[in-house]
Amino acid sequence: MKISHDEQDGVAVVRFEGNLDTNTAPEAQEALDDLIGAGTVKVLVDFSDLDYISSAGLRVLLATAKKLRGGGGNLRLCGLNETVAEVFEISGFSTIFAVFPSEAEALEGF
Amino acid sequence: MSGAAAQAIPPPVPLIPERSTFRTAWDLVIVLAVVVTGLVVPFQIVFVREVDLGGSLLVYLLDVLFVADIFLNFRTTFRAGGSEVTESAAVVRRYRRSGFSADLLGVVPLDALFLMSSAAVAGVPVVLLLRTTRLLRLQRLLRAFRQWERLHSTNTGYLRISKLVIGVFLLIHWIACGWFLVAVVEGFPRDSWTVAAGIDGLDRGSQYLRSLYWGFVTTTTVGFGDIVPTRNAEYAFTILVMVLGASMYALIIGSIASLVSSIDAAKTAFWDRADGVSQYLRSRALPEPLQRQIRDYYEYIWERYRGSSTQQFLRDLPDPIRLEVVFHLTRELIEKVPLFRHAEPALRNALLMSLQPLVFVPGSFVVREGEVATGVYFVSSGKLTITMEGGARHLGGLEAGDYFGDLSLLLGERRTGSVQATTHSDVFFLSTGDFERLRGDYPEFRGVLKEVASTKSAKLEELVSAGCIL
Repeated sequence: MKISHDEQDGVAVVRFEGNLDTNTAPEAQEALDDLIGAGTVKVLVDFSDLDYISSAGLRVLLATAKKLRGGGGNLRLCGLNETVAEVFEISGFSTIFAVFPSEAEALEGF
Repeated sequence: MSGAAAQAIPPPVPLIPERSTFRTAWDLVIVLAVVVTGLVVPFQIVFVREVDLGGSLLVYLLDVLFVADIFLNFRTTFRAGGSEVTESAAVVRRYRRSGFSADLLGVVPLDALFLMSSAAVAGVPVVLLLRTTRLLRLQRLLRAFRQWERLHSTNTGYLRISKLVIGVFLLIHWIACGWFLVAVVEGFPRDSWTVAAGIDGLDRGSQYLRSLYWGFVTTTTVGFGDIVPTRNAEYAFTILVMVLGASMYALIIGSIASLVSSIDAAKTAFWDRADGVSQYLRSRALPEPLQRQIRDYYEYIWERYRGSSTQQFLRDLPDPIRLEVVFHLTRELIEKVPLFRHAEPALRNALLMSLQPLVFVPGSFVVREGEVATGVYFVSSGKLTITMEGGARHLGGLEAGDYFGDLSLLLGERRTGSVQATTHSDVFFLSTGDFERLRGDYPEFRGVLKEVASTKSAKLEELVSAGCIL
């Protein structure tokens, strides 16, 4: 899985490309932890190029959200494809995370 | 038709539903009236042997009841082809074909024509003898019981016992009357049994009681020998009663045994099956705790469902009725699980029809870690516990209103947690196939799930964070 990130208006935008599963979850967690460790409190994860997320990927997101909340920060998600969006909605994760259709909408008011 | 003419025609008497409380109560009154008729008419002939005011009033009062019964029978609906027939003409036709003739003959007061006459046969007034036509009403009693057996199919054992008791009692009463009648017809000769037994000078009540006593003693084949025949006619009657009595005794014992076992045939069959299973488990030396768990399951199934297989029962029903039954059976589930409350009726009905009821005894696993997801579970009653790592970690519980199994299904992953019943639990299962079918057929299902999922997000977060996917 390819991970990239940049900063926009004080928000760290992280992009995952490929699958976020058991194999790639540790790498993703490390990348997010590095950002938090560097003092980032606002993180936006862009799933536009993500094909699939497993329970391991969801745990990464939950752990990240918890760490950010602890530091007064926040986690937002955007660009979920139809399959991933349905999983989030039906399982209830869309209630736990703030999910937006696009990066622009997610950055607005962050 | 002019307004005046229309006003002169009285409105038709409304039809009485066959299954109504009034009709059942009326039939009960008629059955009692038939029994009283069966007792009173022979008693008057044999023991009273005169036309008295009290006896006549009673008989004619009963006649009024039976005349009313005929009218009511002409206005009572009946069932044919699985539905109630409420067309007046059809009701009249049916009654005319079935019991009307016998009922009519049973109320024709032939005896009233001879009320002023003193004619008698063998010392018994003809008036009293002509009252025997009223015994034709016995067929009305049988009709009433047949009706009740048809309408109240769950209590046929008790009804058959009641019919048997009434039949036996009436028969012995008639035998008692017949036994005394032999002496009456012969004019109480000096060597009559009544003289030998010393009852010829007693009051009517005592004479009846002694006759009834003889009836019981003879038909039950006890034969104490204190009241015995002394004349040829008495011997002949006794032989007849002994033959009848022996047959009746065997019939009674056999019928009662059969009826008592049939009252709870379902319970007997169920526990026979359970005992068979227990025997098999013992023969295969299954662990004792497992055997107890299985026995426990059977006991719970009997207590909760009287041993019936809901699935089998539902399979026999047509879809509209099956839905009604399922709706009733799952009303607890509908009240407790938000998913069903939020769904529109069409989706809710489709969900309910797809659910399979399951029962779990304490200690049994609903799902085990490592299993492939097969569906979603909705808890209707009971308490369950979530564990991981072979029971080493406990991650909270589930109770009525909760549902689980959807996450592993959505993610396509194996379950990483187990759910075990801590109390007897009723759970409804929606298979993966049905879940996907409903998602495809009802696009609004996604919205309902989303709305409902918000109610369990806290628990979801806790479980997923711990690595537990159900």
